[in-house]
Amino acid sequence: MNETIQVQLKKGVLELCVLALLSTGDGYAYDIASRLAKGVDMGEGTIYPLMRRMQADGLVDTYLQESPSGPPRKYYRLTEAGRASFIAQKAEWTAFTNAVGAILDGVQ
Amino acid sequence: MTRQEFMTKLRGGLAGLPPLTIADVTADYEAHFTEGLAAGRNEAELAAALGDPARLARELRAEAGLKAWQETRSPSTAATAVFAVLGLGAIDIIFLLPILMGVAGTLFGLFVAVIACLVAGACMLVGGPFYHGPGGVVGMMFAGLGLMAASASVGALLTLVTIWLMNGLVWYGRLHYRLLKPAMDS
Repeated sequence: MNETIQVQLKKGVLELCVLALLSTGDGYAYDIASRLAKGVDMGEGTIYPLMRRMQADGLVDTYLQESPSGPPRKYYRLTEAGRASFIAQKAEWTAFTNAVGAILDGVQ
Repeated sequence: MTRQEFMTKLRGGLAGLPPLTIADVTADYEAHFTEGLAAGRNEAELAAALGDPARLARELRAEAGLKAWQETRSPSTAATAVFAVLGLGAIDIIFLLPILMGVAGTLFGLFVAVIACLVAGACMLVGGPFYHGPGGVVGMMFAGLGLMAASASVGALLTLVTIWLMNGLVWYGRLHYRLLKPAMDS
């Protein structure tokens, strides 16, 4: 696949991926970044502007928690709006990928 | 790039933002380095995985500018937001700039005209009784009052249009750096 298309696709679904990760439990940024970097091959730096954006949009909020090693960690958790947005975006994503999949299957 | 070089470049790119925001942002990246080092990675590797600090700073800056505009609608936050979007420095924004300048100039001119009409109306209202113009004293006062009311409503309409245009620009800016800009840079 064309590299630009790939990057654009990933950027578009990054927020959905973060929402999905947080829907299973709270997380701290380094953990989210390294899991996303491993899973969808994204630059880790992009996660921080994204987290700030999502916080500004009211999808996540933060709290500090002691860490076993080093200074306290900033944890992110989904807000009610974040949970609602996750459900809506997930449904949209599934419908979209099913539609694309159906077309691709038809061509084969 | 070492951790210190990365942080210096990031701080340089964020200069001018509220100190609290800068402290918040830099704390995020410091924590990233601390966690990464604890996980056994080295500074150069971590800095490379984070990406270009100047571009990250531009994105964070644009976000801060747009957020300020959404929280308080004032000429100064509008200016900040516009400059933040321009700061992203994308090619098509440069193409957009002459149009943007034209629109901003026209709006400014209209605002000046509205204020001039408002002042003229006030002069007619106050000066009416002392100055015998056409239509007599009462006519002058009513004409002044009418002129003031008309210019006030045009002014209100103009403000609405300006806010609407700014929202469009903010929408464009967010869409732009969310999807297009990172793709062009990578």
